[in-house]
Amino acid sequence: MPLAYSLPSNLSPATVTNTSSLLRIISLALISGAAIASRLFAVINFESIIHEFDPWFNYRATRVLAEKGFYAFWNWFDHTAWYPLGRVVGGTIYPGLMATSGVIYNVLHALNLPVDIRNICVLLAPGFSALTAWSTYMFTKEMKDESAGLLAAAFIGIAPGYISRSVAGSYDNEAIAIFLLMFTFYSWIKALKTGSAFFGTLTALFYFYMVAAWGGYAFITNMIPLHALTLILMGRFSSRLYVAYSSWYAIGTLASMQVPFVGFQPVRTSEHMAALGVFGLLQIVAFAELVRAHVSSKQFQSILFGSVIGIGLLGALAFGGLTYKGWIAPWTGRFYSLWDTGYAKKYIPIIASVSEHQPTAWPSFFMDLQFLIFLFPAGVVLCFRELRDEHVFVIIYAVVASYFAGVMVRLMLTLTPVVCVAAAVAFSSLLDTYIDPVEPEASDAAASPAEGTSAAGAAAAASDAGSSKKAKKAAAPDPGVASGILAAVAPSGSGPKSRGIFGLDTRGLVVFNALGMLLFFVLHCTYVTSSAYSSPSVVLASTNPDGSQHIIDDFREAYYWLRQNTPEDAVVMSWWDYGYQIAGMADRPTLVDNNTWNNTHIATVGKAMSSSEEVAYPILRKHDVDYVLVIFGGLIGYSGDDINKFLWMVRIAQGVWPEEIQEPNYFTPKGEYRIDDAAPATMKNSLMYKMSYYRFAELFGGNQAVDRVRGQQVPKTGPTLDYLDEAFTSENWIVRIYQVKKEDPLGRDLKAANAFANGKKRKKSKPLSRRRAVA
Amino acid sequence: MRFLRTLLFPLLALTSFALARSSTGDSVLVLLDPSLKKENYSIFFGDLEKKGYKLTFRSPKDTTPEIIKDDVAQFAHVVVFAPETKTFAADVTPQSLVSLLSKNMNLLLALSPKQTPLTSLASEFSLILPPPGTPLISHFPKRDTPATLIPVQPPRAHHVISDNLAPVWFSGVPQSLGHNPMLIPLLNAPPQAFASDADSDSGADALVEAAEKSGEGLWAGSSLSLVTGFQTLSNARATWVGGVEMFSDEYINKEISKGVKSGNRDFARDVTAWTFQESNVLRIDSVEHNLVNETLPGETYTINDQVTFTAFISKYDPEIGWWRAYSDIDDMQLEFTMLDPHIRTSLPPVEGEPGMYAVTFRVPDRHGVFKFNVDYKRKGWTYLTSTSMVPVVPPQHDGYPRFLSAAWPYYAGAFSTSAAFILFVALWLAGDDRELKKNKGAKAE
Amino acid sequence: MLLLPLLALLSLPFCLAAISAESAHEKLVKLAASNNGLIKLDDSLYGLLTHPKRTWSASVHLTAMDPRRRCTPCKEFDPSFSAVAKAWTHVPQAQRDTHFFATADFDNAMGTFQKLGLQSAPVVHIHLAAEGDRRPASGRSAPIVYDFSNGFDAGPLAEQLSAYTPVAIPYKAPIDFAKYGTAAGVALIILSGIRFFLPILRSRWAWAAGTVLTSLVMTAGFMFVRIRGMPASGANGQWIAPGYQNQYGQEVQVVSFVYGLLSAAFLMLTLVTPYQTHSSRQRLQVYLWSGVIFVMFSVLISLFRVKNRGYPFKLLL
Repeated sequence: MPLAYSLPSNLSPATVTNTSSLLRIISLALISGAAIASRLFAVINFESIIHEFDPWFNYRATRVLAEKGFYAFWNWFDHTAWYPLGRVVGGTIYPGLMATSGVIYNVLHALNLPVDIRNICVLLAPGFSALTAWSTYMFTKEMKDESAGLLAAAFIGIAPGYISRSVAGSYDNEAIAIFLLMFTFYSWIKALKTGSAFFGTLTALFYFYMVAAWGGYAFITNMIPLHALTLILMGRFSSRLYVAYSSWYAIGTLASMQVPFVGFQPVRTSEHMAALGVFGLLQIVAFAELVRAHVSSKQFQSILFGSVIGIGLLGALAFGGLTYKGWIAPWTGRFYSLWDTGYAKKYIPIIASVSEHQPTAWPSFFMDLQFLIFLFPAGVVLCFRELRDEHVFVIIYAVVASYFAGVMVRLMLTLTPVVCVAAAVAFSSLLDTYIDPVEPEASDAAASPAEGTSAAGAAAAASDAGSSKKAKKAAAPDPGVASGILAAVAPSGSGPKSRGIFGLDTRGLVVFNALGMLLFFVLHCTYVTSSAYSSPSVVLASTNPDGSQHIIDDFREAYYWLRQNTPEDAVVMSWWDYGYQIAGMADRPTLVDNNTWNNTHIATVGKAMSSSEEVAYPILRKHDVDYVLVIFGGLIGYSGDDINKFLWMVRIAQGVWPEEIQEPNYFTPKGEYRIDDAAPATMKNSLMYKMSYYRFAELFGGNQAVDRVRGQQVPKTGPTLDYLDEAFTSENWIVRIYQVKKEDPLGRDLKAANAFANGKKRKKSKPLSRRRAVA
Repeated sequence: MRFLRTLLFPLLALTSFALARSSTGDSVLVLLDPSLKKENYSIFFGDLEKKGYKLTFRSPKDTTPEIIKDDVAQFAHVVVFAPETKTFAADVTPQSLVSLLSKNMNLLLALSPKQTPLTSLASEFSLILPPPGTPLISHFPKRDTPATLIPVQPPRAHHVISDNLAPVWFSGVPQSLGHNPMLIPLLNAPPQAFASDADSDSGADALVEAAEKSGEGLWAGSSLSLVTGFQTLSNARATWVGGVEMFSDEYINKEISKGVKSGNRDFARDVTAWTFQESNVLRIDSVEHNLVNETLPGETYTINDQVTFTAFISKYDPEIGWWRAYSDIDDMQLEFTMLDPHIRTSLPPVEGEPGMYAVTFRVPDRHGVFKFNVDYKRKGWTYLTSTSMVPVVPPQHDGYPRFLSAAWPYYAGAFSTSAAFILFVALWLAGDDRELKKNKGAKAE
Repeated sequence: MLLLPLLALLSLPFCLAAISAESAHEKLVKLAASNNGLIKLDDSLYGLLTHPKRTWSASVHLTAMDPRRRCTPCKEFDPSFSAVAKAWTHVPQAQRDTHFFATADFDNAMGTFQKLGLQSAPVVHIHLAAEGDRRPASGRSAPIVYDFSNGFDAGPLAEQLSAYTPVAIPYKAPIDFAKYGTAAGVALIILSGIRFFLPILRSRWAWAAGTVLTSLVMTAGFMFVRIRGMPASGANGQWIAPGYQNQYGQEVQVVSFVYGLLSAAFLMLTLVTPYQTHSSRQRLQVYLWSGVIFVMFSVLISLFRVKNRGYPFKLLL
């Protein structure tokens, strides 16, 4: 057959296979290297530091684990969090992450490598990203072949959508969860293909690891049953499916119940009921199959079929009844808010207030998965083309994940792997087509009637063989686009010969185009990673006029001030976003933190922040609050400050005290949210407003003070504080810390005491009881 | 350890307060207005010096010696006998006097019918003074003295003023008391007494008129206080005296009736003793808490533990000038608090253990950070407050019962199933499958 | 002696108030009964309703129904309020007369609006009882302002007002027969036409189309538009919302179209072109689709640059 370009023909097949496997290994190693390296921007630009908020708690917990051992960690009661309620940490976290780094820590120390626990925590995510790349390779290999696998590995290695949660220092559950997710799916597919109980058990084990590591395990818990159910409905039930699913479900469920935080949920909550139901259904179907294999009577089979349906219905009814009776808990709020998207804002404002629970606009999709995002549908279509069981899995995954990613920015994370896989499938099949040197016999070569194999040739032969020109004309329309599509749609086209690319330039063009895209992708990922995803929101960076980088380090400045200037047990009150950081960096007790388990307690803080000093003071005293910490960006324009979050505090407080706190009072009559002279009295008297703008106007000398976040003019005469003292204000005023005054020694209310201390004359008070002469 | 401490405290007290009669020190600054001659008050100051106080005299106008130098209090007590002084030196302002209290110095202040800076200060102590120029007046009992010089019977059964004192001579302004629990009246006006501008003392009606006009009602009756004590949260003490003359030699020597000396001298002694923290001074030496029948204090407690709380309290004894264990408090309470008191129980003294108060209770079934609160506030006595924090944790992972009788069905189920499985496997491996093949063959045909 | 008149003088307003409170209550009961549960207020009636000595509570709905006011939300909210008021008439007499529903229209009660200094409508004030056993522990006399964050529907309104009424408001949303009807109809059609639909259900390419469309629409930010209720296009006709975390409804269509075209081009190159056995035509196809990919991709990039200004890369445009 004709070749577009010549291949070396003097190679033994053994050499070829060996070289290719060697190349695969090398490229996998390089991909891992790239994946790790591209996540180190944060460390290089800033330093080896834990990022953001939740990681600070994970880091703290890991320290406890590394110092005191596992049992101490398991029984750890953190009495500095949620003061004075305390938090039972062991039973309220997914210990997988801490356990992982604890193991690594101990192994390294057993090898006499004294690595600091912090560095392990910082570098854990990049390390696991390499493993993710590998497991994605394995997964995609099951879908198509090694070349697609390598592409997928490369994609997931540098796709920003995954880097955003796994840069060095973002020490969060997702860091290891994605690897576990992919590997669980891989072994599930493997188990399904081979029908081996071994791989089923492997799936279960990694499922257990996933359960221990991330709350998102519910995704697996519902994906696999969904896949199994779809296969059954497609009439693809097989003993392989039965073995794989049963071994996964039985072992996986039992294992997952060993995690204290999960406990009996797998049999008590709706999130897990799908798995249980499909398990039951599988047993029924398997039984039906068994009977059918032995009985041949038609009616009996139909009866059997009916009975299967009936039993299924009964199961559904029983499930409904149990839920109604309350034996099975209905969907939890977080999970439910994925379906009813208005639910969270109405009933659980805390969840709605988290920024990463907001819906996703298209630019962030494109930002996170540049050209993969439009290769993704193509890949899905290719999966439909040869519809094997594992392809069904990818298809379901694609639909579900793209919906979830649309609803919550955060779930972009679960979408990224399937996008990478599908895109890799599409891309590699493109390259396969255009790199393959084999050229088909063309219809214009079919002038010679000798070869009439191809459809075109046959057509040409059919027409009068005398003049090839005519033949061309006759043959041309026949294998046009239409027939091409038909051929493409047919699962495995027609004879291989008729399929191929002519000429070198076409190949060159397409391949060049493709490589260009890949190059662009790499550039894009590097840019996005370095610019967007590598800043540890603890340390902010701005650029000086001369372009050099200027580090804004107010947070650590303030936290270390707390650590060094306040007594060990000084209770610090702040909005919950900063709870973990205060605990981690300042090492002081906090009222509320990012583990938002107690709505009332958070609402209490919200109430204190959003009500006037007189109302707030008793609350502060009751909770032994010594310092109040607020974040204020008005000076340098840091938009993520407390005044912008203030409405959430009001809303959450209103949820608990609807009579005392009401959101409308914080808006102007026109319904605007303002902080300047037009601000309503409630707003101006609120503790948060006072603490934010206390002595802010003085900073501007005589000039008009301007809040650079709100872009509004701050009143000239700033608020006054009677019950609090300004204790500390960081360099750029981002963090402001206030000390709560003790009661007045003479038993006056602090307002009067303050007035007296400032030398104000109080008007002469009259005797309490109007004594009258009895005449 | 504990015994060592109980020994240690008296020793310290001995060394430091060997001379002093007061628990807080013996240096007294007297701001004496030049208009009141020092020799007119010789007996009063003499008594103080006899007690061992070092008196330093200073006129309100001049600036040395400073009361506070470099933010350090130079004296333990300050007596302000300047009832009519309008202008003080820069360092004697109402604010600075309050700051003295927060530095735990004690004040003895004298008032007069005249309007002075002290009058405005008095209102900060929620004392309410009548309008300027209205001294206390009483026409009973019939006597030859002017109506503004009144014999007043000191209170009986008062734990600051010693019992059955002779009546004391008083002339000055009364004070009506606000709703401040820190106030303790040391001397109340006689029921027939009333406040009015002395000259126009003409009939009750005029008085009522005036009262109605001023809108303050009638300044009269025994609810008016003449000498008022005040104890701040930090246990500093300030005493307000309606008229300074009651400490003068003249009043001290003046006879109430034939042969009966006035009680002024003893009264002054009691008042200064209380004001300078000689009498009614308590303190908590130490508090301890531990599990029942353990001695070491617990770091944390598990829910439902039995916990013993112990407090050691001693009282200052001016006679010997040190602290001695004090077991006479019978109404002290202990609170075990998280946000709200989960447990509030009485903290009784222990028989045979002087100064020791103890109670044993069960920790509530609720984990969190709890506080042992002792908060004992009684009029005239030092406030006793103590707070010690302790986390209460849920049981450890192995703190729960291991084998539950209720779970036997599950144990049985698990074991029987595994046994059955092993049996099945054994049989399966033991059996051969020839006839099975035959069946297969049969099927195939 | 001179106190007795004084006392009398002092107590006089009290008795007056007491009397008028009684009468006011009877009057209000009559009014409410007459106009099924809803009292139409003018300034004087408003005074009666918010009587300083009231033993009853009241929900006052301040609105501006007059077309001249051009208050669309008022029109939207008014039926809900009257529905809730009507529902309140079904509770037993004893409780019913302790809580009143009233509407004050701007044109009838201008004085009230001025007194309250209201610029916007609709507003719902809940006046708690100032006297008697239903007086709140806080002794709050200022009206509570109803929070419209849950929209203008009657359901949440009744639910939230029930917190202030002696008994919960027995409001039930009317059954939406139209909805159920259409649902039943659709179901019927599907069931009847099952044999026509079955092949579609069975064909993989129908499913493929569905899947691809779903994922295209979702990845184009459809859910964002839906949840945030973004308009199809902004004011002054611009259809690209400025800002990185923001978009309009039209962008969904445009972006998903671009995505679709691009992936279609890839599929063409991968699946269709190879079957073209005519070399020159095939070459043409290859060039065509490659060109499409290149152009559309650069269009996409330029779109993205509009959203995210700092973005350094660009292709053709």
